[in-house]
Amino acid sequence: MAPKKVLDSVTRLAARQGLLVMVIAIFTLEATALIQYFYSQKILSEEANRRAQGQLEATELQITGVMDQVETAVRNSLWSVQQELSRPDSLAAITARLVSTNPVISGSTVALTDKNLAPYSFSTADGTVQTSSLATEAYDYKNQEWFLKPLELQGGYWSEPYFDEGGGNMLMTTYSLPVTDKKGRVAAVFTADVSLDWLTNLVGNVKVYPTAFSMLVSRTGRIMVCPAETLVMKRTIQEIAATMDDSASFNALNRSMLSGESGSTTFRYQGKMNYMFFDGVDRTGWAMSVVVPEEEIYGAIQRLGRLVALLQLVGIVLLILLLYHVIKSHRDLRMVSENKSRIEGELHVARGIQMSMIPKIFPPYPERGDVDMFAAVVPAKEVGGDLYDFYTREEKLFFCIGDVSGKGVPASLVMAVTRSLFRTVSAHEKSPQRIVTTINDSMSEMNDANMFVTFFCGVLDLRNGHLRYCNAGHNAPVLVMPDGNRELPVEANLPLGVVPGMSFSEQETDLTTGTGLFLYTDGLTEAENPAHALFGEERMLAALSGKLGSHQQIDAMTQAVQGFVGDAPQSDDLTMLYIRFMNNQISEETERHLILHNDIQQIPQLAEFVEAVADVAHLDVGLTMSLNLALEEAVSNVIMYAYPKGSDGLVDIEAIIRKGELEFIISDNGTPFDPTAAPEADITLDVEDRPVGGLGIFLVKNIMDVVKYTRSDDGKNILSMIKKLA
Amino acid sequence: MEVKITEKDNVMTAQLIGRLDTAVSQQVATEMQPVIDQADKTIVLDCKELAYISSSGLRIFLTVRKAAASKGGKVIVRDINNEIRQVFMMTGFLNLFEIQES
Repeated sequence: MAPKKVLDSVTRLAARQGLLVMVIAIFTLEATALIQYFYSQKILSEEANRRAQGQLEATELQITGVMDQVETAVRNSLWSVQQELSRPDSLAAITARLVSTNPVISGSTVALTDKNLAPYSFSTADGTVQTSSLATEAYDYKNQEWFLKPLELQGGYWSEPYFDEGGGNMLMTTYSLPVTDKKGRVAAVFTADVSLDWLTNLVGNVKVYPTAFSMLVSRTGRIMVCPAETLVMKRTIQEIAATMDDSASFNALNRSMLSGESGSTTFRYQGKMNYMFFDGVDRTGWAMSVVVPEEEIYGAIQRLGRLVALLQLVGIVLLILLLYHVIKSHRDLRMVSENKSRIEGELHVARGIQMSMIPKIFPPYPERGDVDMFAAVVPAKEVGGDLYDFYTREEKLFFCIGDVSGKGVPASLVMAVTRSLFRTVSAHEKSPQRIVTTINDSMSEMNDANMFVTFFCGVLDLRNGHLRYCNAGHNAPVLVMPDGNRELPVEANLPLGVVPGMSFSEQETDLTTGTGLFLYTDGLTEAENPAHALFGEERMLAALSGKLGSHQQIDAMTQAVQGFVGDAPQSDDLTMLYIRFMNNQISEETERHLILHNDIQQIPQLAEFVEAVADVAHLDVGLTMSLNLALEEAVSNVIMYAYPKGSDGLVDIEAIIRKGELEFIISDNGTPFDPTAAPEADITLDVEDRPVGGLGIFLVKNIMDVVKYTRSDDGKNILSMIKKLA
Repeated sequence: MEVKITEKDNVMTAQLIGRLDTAVSQQVATEMQPVIDQADKTIVLDCKELAYISSSGLRIFLTVRKAAASKGGKVIVRDINNEIRQVFMMTGFLNLFEIQES
């Protein structure tokens, strides 16, 4: 699966989970808020109901109290009225007393049924009580409600409220009680007028909530008390209902109100919901109501609800933003970590490829006694661009060390290119100068990235220690000798890849046996300790010793630099290559053997044998051919003469390579023959006098330094020939 | 080892190619017989491609030289390499042969 697809699905998963969390959070928030809202509303509604009903009941009690007072006062005077029915003139005194002793009662009359007589006492504005008569033609009291109703009901009756236009423009109601004479006949109606001004104040003060208002309506629906004074006594509640938005429900309300029930209801007025709480005043058949706008009851909770909703909205928006951010950063993080691990994996592979390019098996030439070398790369965490390489060809050690500018994959690529070029160019080129020049030309041509390589290339002739070298801006290697160290003198030149066509200078020197050449990259001298001090050349030189073998020397240097650096992170590759020239250090004898039959046709095998020995002893071409000649003469002598013609015999040739000399021992089981005993050939003779034979042993004696014949006890001819080496 | 014998303007040229060691000397001696037979002429031994010579080879050279001396001919050794020149010096052959560089 491609990383992008993985990311997409991961992101989708995160988004789905995030969305789920969001939905749950919003649901929980909303449910909590709604439950709280409705519960609070219920509590508030009950509270409003309780408060309204309580007020209404208290008000009713007060009203009833006044009514009781009036009724009691009237009843207390009833006996006196009954006594004075026969003396109508004295009736006015009773009504006057009733009015003067009861401040609530503003007027009173005793209206006779059989006569047109109705003395009326009333209190005036200055507090006095005057008496007049209601028995006027204009008034016709016998057709008034207050007169008819008690007679009809045969009991006390509270009249519909009315405006007393004559008596002072006051809202009035009248309590009427039929009066029976001594015979039990209804003879009069005894009344007490009660001003209802106090009702206006009383009911008007029933303010459950600041904007609430109260109403009092009569049993016929006439409005008695209402904040809108223009409506008082002029309109009925039925008329008001007709103007309402939902008159049907308002009418139902009126019916239940006017039937004296108590309760509550809601109605819509001018688009706003209102609560109406109502209760009847049983005594008078009035109905009291308190109207509270819903806003008033639930205002606080609604304001709270709006605040909560706003807070929730803000919270949800924040939550969405947070979720978006989390998902995005989660995806970014995933992307970064995916990329990082992929790059790290690739760098790891690059590092592996890079390390596989440099020789790592040490000692590289265990069979060679002429060179002792060891190398180490301590790689930095990041892929670096250090390189070294070496190989032998034609008895020469080709080697190089280099450091690519920069780090990472680009540096490692350039390193790989440099190493390949070194191998390719040096395969048919022995001059370090030409190797370096050719590599530089190749690299400069394709150096679009402007990367360069400091490079040192050397060719060491292992036969004689002759070192040819060419430097391209690399650190000078150190010559390590038993009597001390010194830098190999080098021309600095420019690094590879800088100037195409640049001509590099070649230098040369001779290494004496045991001399070491220590090559390194600046990762060594510039290794930092935790205090950012550099390892430096002095410490490096101090750690170099001519007494150490290459492996011990590299180990000693590694220890020295690690001891110095401590825990500090390594920022650059650290590469070391140590080459010790060990020629002429053949301390042990090297032996080679060849056994031939006594067949002259085997002579070419002898030639091969001699050349192999000469190779091991590092002999030049001329000496090799001389030795070949000497051996051929001695061996062909044995082949041709040691054994009888036609019989099979063997010739044993042993070569012993020692320090400074080469010995050949030729032995056979043939007839005893001492070639050294043959007469010396006279090379001064003329052509005519010179014998054609006898030159063979002469050549042997001339070429070799010591030629000695022995006949062994077990019957062997043994010819020893020694050649001293310079 | 190869021997190429050519004759031109009364000059016999024997071109010796390869290693003239004991193993091949018998064969070379046989191949050189026509030259020895006509040793009254000028004989050129072309050694430009002669890499090596042992005493048995020197023996053939000397045989040719002796034949020429007896028949009134002349032997010229041409283009010997350094190693063979060493051997010629050691054995006194430098005095017996006229050596030429081409």
